[in-house]
Amino acid sequence: MRKKLYFLCLLLSIFLPLIGGGCSTRKKELIVSAAASLKDSFEEIGKAFERENKGTKVLFNFAGSGFLRVQIEGGAVVDVFASAGEKDIDLLEKKGLIKRGTRRDFAENEIVLISPARSKLDLHSFSQLSQPVVKYIAIADPKLAPVGQYSKEFLEKQNLWKDVEKKIIPAGDVKGVLDYVARGEVDVGIVYRTDALIFSKAVKILAVPPRGSYTPPRYPIAVMKNCREPALAEEFILFVSSPTGQGILKKYGFRTVALGNG
Amino acid sequence: MDSSILFSLRLSFQVAFLATLLATPLGILIAYLLAMKNFRGKGALDAFFTLPLVLPPVVVGYYLIVLFGKNGIIGKFLYEATGWSIMFTWYAAVLASFFVAFPLMVKTTKAAIEAVDKNLVDASYTLGHTEWDTALKVILPLAKRGIIAGSILTFARALGEFGATLMFAGNIPGKTNTVPLAIFTYMTSGQYTKAHIMAVLFTLISAISLYMANKYGGSAIR
Amino acid sequence: MKLFIKLVKKVAGFFLNVEWEADEEIVVLFGPSGAGKSITLKLIAGLMEPDEGFVKLSGNILYDSERKINVPPQKRPFGYVFQDSTLFPHMTVKGNIAYGGKHIDKRSLEHSVRQMIKHFHLEGLEDKFPNEISGGQKRRVALAMALMREPKALLLDEPLAALDSQIKLEVMELLREVREKFAIPIVFVTHDIFEALSLADKMVIYINGRIAQIGAPLEIFNNPISQDVERLLCARELFEEIYILSGAPTPNRFRQFRKT
Repeated sequence: MRKKLYFLCLLLSIFLPLIGGGCSTRKKELIVSAAASLKDSFEEIGKAFERENKGTKVLFNFAGSGFLRVQIEGGAVVDVFASAGEKDIDLLEKKGLIKRGTRRDFAENEIVLISPARSKLDLHSFSQLSQPVVKYIAIADPKLAPVGQYSKEFLEKQNLWKDVEKKIIPAGDVKGVLDYVARGEVDVGIVYRTDALIFSKAVKILAVPPRGSYTPPRYPIAVMKNCREPALAEEFILFVSSPTGQGILKKYGFRTVALGNG
Repeated sequence: MDSSILFSLRLSFQVAFLATLLATPLGILIAYLLAMKNFRGKGALDAFFTLPLVLPPVVVGYYLIVLFGKNGIIGKFLYEATGWSIMFTWYAAVLASFFVAFPLMVKTTKAAIEAVDKNLVDASYTLGHTEWDTALKVILPLAKRGIIAGSILTFARALGEFGATLMFAGNIPGKTNTVPLAIFTYMTSGQYTKAHIMAVLFTLISAISLYMANKYGGSAIR
Repeated sequence: MKLFIKLVKKVAGFFLNVEWEADEEIVVLFGPSGAGKSITLKLIAGLMEPDEGFVKLSGNILYDSERKINVPPQKRPFGYVFQDSTLFPHMTVKGNIAYGGKHIDKRSLEHSVRQMIKHFHLEGLEDKFPNEISGGQKRRVALAMALMREPKALLLDEPLAALDSQIKLEVMELLREVREKFAIPIVFVTHDIFEALSLADKMVIYINGRIAQIGAPLEIFNNPISQDVERLLCARELFEEIYILSGAPTPNRFRQFRKT
């Protein structure tokens, strides 16, 4: 008798989850791949969106934009893609993976130089990075995250890259940079202003790029071609660009963009 | 061939070799204590040394940062004394591989030592040989097979180490990017050809070195 | 040379409490398996620690629980032959014997080893490994090893177990030679009545961790102190029969086994 009971439980434990998963009274789901720097703001936007659209669930996938792009190229099921910078979305567009006409910019960010909050380093500008007192500079890996690419490009344009290249520690994404700096493992790091603000207790901003020295990264968002709920996805993009969405983004330090750009 | 690919290959074997060099004598010592001695807290010590086997490597990497980072519990003293931090150097990769692979060395060696006939150990004592002498002349020679197997396992595990290395040593091209890390970077940035070349080369060289290690290990045993 | 022991030990639910002494003779610890005989040897050698008691060898106190003396096994002058004559499988016969000569300096060691090999008729086997020699040869090597130490007493744990009868007799002869030559106490553990009777100058009967009777084999045979002892010696009838049947001239002492 006990053996039969055990066998029955085993069967149930295998099949019950499968049955449950196929039920039709599920919420409408949206999968959004978004750049790591959007984590905190988008999570809040997601919750607000769910509140205004009962019966929906927004699932997020945060990582470096380059990493996310490679995932999508590899066939990942994603409904909406929000990247930091144009490059990755351009590449996806070229491959025809974006739904035409849905792309738009929704925010702007700025890169800043940060150090651990309790650092005694006397630095006010990027040009001082070549000094020997700066041993390690953390940036996001340029191959994996746009902010790393921007950091590298900015340093190159300022003729600083060849001096500091040996001190560069690449992190997987911008959150990795924040961790290294907050923990004091590196002397300085380059992240988005929005990231520095979130970690304001552990890091402090030392310098910002001089006006006009570079183009601040814009954040485009788009619906993917193989999206499962296109109407809902477009709703989401509109929501991000709406006053509610933009208000949340501004709260986290993003600069807003005029609606309707592509 | 790309010099960076060569660099990663060389680095990986360098790191794995050094980690094994560290892990072998230390592993034998710990295994001997666990196998031959009885003391309070032995079970806890055994569990402690098995832990890195069970924890996800990134967690091990995290603990390494907490311990040996510039502001880490131990790393802080090192930094204050010498101005040097182990993070972001290839030594960090060695340490990461060491910690992750160490349990393998200990477990295998411990089992080998426990398998030695206790009567032989007793016989050695009654013939006037000290514990140290007995360990060197009786226990370790008879446990040789297990010890070598442990070393080979350690080497293999160290070669493939990824999570802890990524966390603790970082993925710095030309400095700490071992083959697993390099392949990861190539894959995630879409450089599939480079990733492919590296993976094939690495598999080949690793397979050959393991084969040779097994063969040599087998013949080292009478 | 005299060996005094008194040992009390509780281990895994088994309670050992024994006391006896040995002169320069062969003392056989005889009793059923699990009676505590092997444990006694281990305690004497210092491989296990008693709960209380003492081990004295001609005035040298090797263990005394009251005075908190506990000499480590390496420093106790015993030669120990383990059950199944434990030889080091990774060393040759020569290596095994030499391993017992730790106290001898390098130059004389070679000579001493060769002497042992000659004495125990092990010529030709020097470079063989233990798994290449016979059981009887293994016993001889084990004895040689133990004697290299020039021990002041010999402890043997079932040294004749699993040997062919012929070989048994050979090894028994060897032991008698050792007794003659070295004049040391030889403590011999066995549960085989024939071995006990053939070799013992004194028998110590072990039953369940206690000493049931001590005496010369003849005494015990004729006057078993209890029913348990008598049951242990039950082979004596068989023994008598063998001798009488064989028609061989029975030594006087065996004729006296018949109870009147």
